[in-house]
Amino acid sequence: MTLANRLKMGALAAALCAPGLAWATQEAPLDLVQPIADYKLYVAVHTEKLIADATKFVAAIKAGDTKTAKALYAPTRMNYEAVEPVAELFSDLDSALDSRADDHEKKEEDPGFTGFHRLEYGLWEKNSTQGLSETADKLLADAKELHARIVKLTFPPEKVVGGAAALMEEVAKTKISGEEDRYSHTDLWDFKANFDGSQKIFVLLEPVLAKKDPDFVKKVAENFTVVDATLAKYRTAEGYEPYDKLSEPDRTVLSAKVNALAEDLSTLRGKLGLN
Amino acid sequence: MTTTKTPSCPFAASRRGFLLGAGAIAAAGGGAGAAIAAESEAARPQVADAPIAHSDARRRTPFYGVHQAGVVTPRPACGIVAAFDLVAANPEELQTLFRKLTERIAFLTQGGRAPDRDPKLPPADSGILGPVIEPDELTVTVSVGDSLFEDRAWLKPLKPKTLMRMAGFPNDALVARSCHGDVLLQFCANSQPTNIHALRDIIKNTSDSMVLRWRQEGSVPVVPPQPDGKSESARNFLGFRDGSANPDSNDDALMEKIVWVGAGDPDEPKWAHGGSYQVVRLIRMLVEDWDRTPLGEQERIFGREKWSGAPLGVLGGSEHDIPDYAADPKGDLTPLTAHMRLANPRRPETEANLIVRRGFNFSNGVTKSGHLEDGLLFLSYQADLAQGFLAVQSRLNGEPLEEYIKPFGGGYFFVLPGVRDESDYLGRSLIEAIA
Repeated sequence: MTLANRLKMGALAAALCAPGLAWATQEAPLDLVQPIADYKLYVAVHTEKLIADATKFVAAIKAGDTKTAKALYAPTRMNYEAVEPVAELFSDLDSALDSRADDHEKKEEDPGFTGFHRLEYGLWEKNSTQGLSETADKLLADAKELHARIVKLTFPPEKVVGGAAALMEEVAKTKISGEEDRYSHTDLWDFKANFDGSQKIFVLLEPVLAKKDPDFVKKVAENFTVVDATLAKYRTAEGYEPYDKLSEPDRTVLSAKVNALAEDLSTLRGKLGLN
Repeated sequence: MTTTKTPSCPFAASRRGFLLGAGAIAAAGGGAGAAIAAESEAARPQVADAPIAHSDARRRTPFYGVHQAGVVTPRPACGIVAAFDLVAANPEELQTLFRKLTERIAFLTQGGRAPDRDPKLPPADSGILGPVIEPDELTVTVSVGDSLFEDRAWLKPLKPKTLMRMAGFPNDALVARSCHGDVLLQFCANSQPTNIHALRDIIKNTSDSMVLRWRQEGSVPVVPPQPDGKSESARNFLGFRDGSANPDSNDDALMEKIVWVGAGDPDEPKWAHGGSYQVVRLIRMLVEDWDRTPLGEQERIFGREKWSGAPLGVLGGSEHDIPDYAADPKGDLTPLTAHMRLANPRRPETEANLIVRRGFNFSNGVTKSGHLEDGLLFLSYQADLAQGFLAVQSRLNGEPLEEYIKPFGGGYFFVLPGVRDESDYLGRSLIEAIA
């Protein structure tokens, strides 16, 4: 076993043995109680949908139906991508479900490389479902575990509020380049889910924010509109065009606006009085 | 952890002893003693203490002027160029960006206290220079690329006459991700952290309209002051002086002619007066190969003596001596293909091709083969791109130096005219010229 794997196993064991999370939950200020309750519902709906979609996705893989499995990959993932700020709180599950080959020493061949991108690699690079059964089963089991943990979780307000910026940072930092879904090139589906997840948090907080800083709300809403409109150009009947269809000028617009949103949304916690 | 510090050499000990003694004596005198005591304390730094800056750290380069700073300003030790793609769909958005750049650069180059914010918010400043930003002779020079004009119908008619997209020369191996850009920012300062701080500040404040495309850092060797007060051109990573043949940057009339676009250029759009064409070239130098080349061959490739920089055959000469090519028509002294002879043949008709070079050396990493990725961040300024760099580089095509260099990036840009005063902003003449 490699050192990296031993460390991962250690982290997993720690997470299982000590379900206490690594952060101290702040009391939600009164005006945030309702938005956070609504957000928890939003997340639970997505993780439930993740289980339902993953069930079909996994079934297609186990039936050897590469074509159906490929078609289900991106829409299944979207449920995860939309709620990433919360899903990421469980680092063992996030790593198992969503790590990339780069996160592993032996890249695609690394036994620690599991989850969505391992399945993506098999389906697109090898154009086959062969040898993916075990990873597929694990994906579904991890999705169920994620849902179970989320249902029991008291959502930390700073993680919820901070999640709006975190999703944008995620896109700006490592997704805008098209390196996330490098085998399937379904990156624009992920963008959509990340944008929606961020916007959901913003919309839930909007009534509170509008009282404090209406100019800020207007600016953020405008940038979301530009981002949505730019991405909408690439809508297809099933979902979104492959990443390589994204034009250079549109990529620049997305990059700039996503960075601007990350910059502005990073002040949300402070604006709402959270540490 | 011990706090006792043992002097590392007898000289240090005796010097400190002397200072302490002097301090004790002077203490009776009050303030002076305290100052000396402070100096003795300063003479005992800890391993991770910030190195003490050159006194230049508090010097400012003026921001306002007919021309932007950073072109004929003496080059400090460190530089960065950063190219950006722009989101500016209309003149208003471009104007907003230019005003924001003006505001940030006016602050950064003159220094001051970073604003305080509620600690629940992300800080306004990165803090890498501390709460007070020292100007450190920082200049930030803003230039615009061919694509800014070509990609926007409302700007296209205003493109400077000879501005174009950089095309590869025969020895180039251009890498798309290191070329071109709508806007280029050139940062120059005495220390690299000052440049990095300014770059981060500008990125943070302009993220809704500028996306970083590529960047290159560089520096030049710092030399001790010469006893005779003379200065000399900095050396490149091939060990040769670079910039010896530059025209005198203190001669304003000459700079108006060679560097700045102005009334003498009737074909240029009027908004461009006070600006300059800027060439940026990222040139990898194959230093391991070069270091295995005999000294005599190195000198014949450049046409100069390595140490003095003097033209070959000028006994006891200096880098500023003018080579007499008329007396050496066959290239017995200076080969006809020597870099400096091709670049500037010193003929009346090649006077029009003079340019001002102001580059930095870069050191980027390691190739897959385990070689150094070192080279030259070439920067030049001229009043006419075609007559300037393009003409010079065309003469250099096929020169023997090519065996040791490989240009891979950069671009051609136009330095915007200067900001006259506080009511002015970068690019105002361009914005006002939009029909």
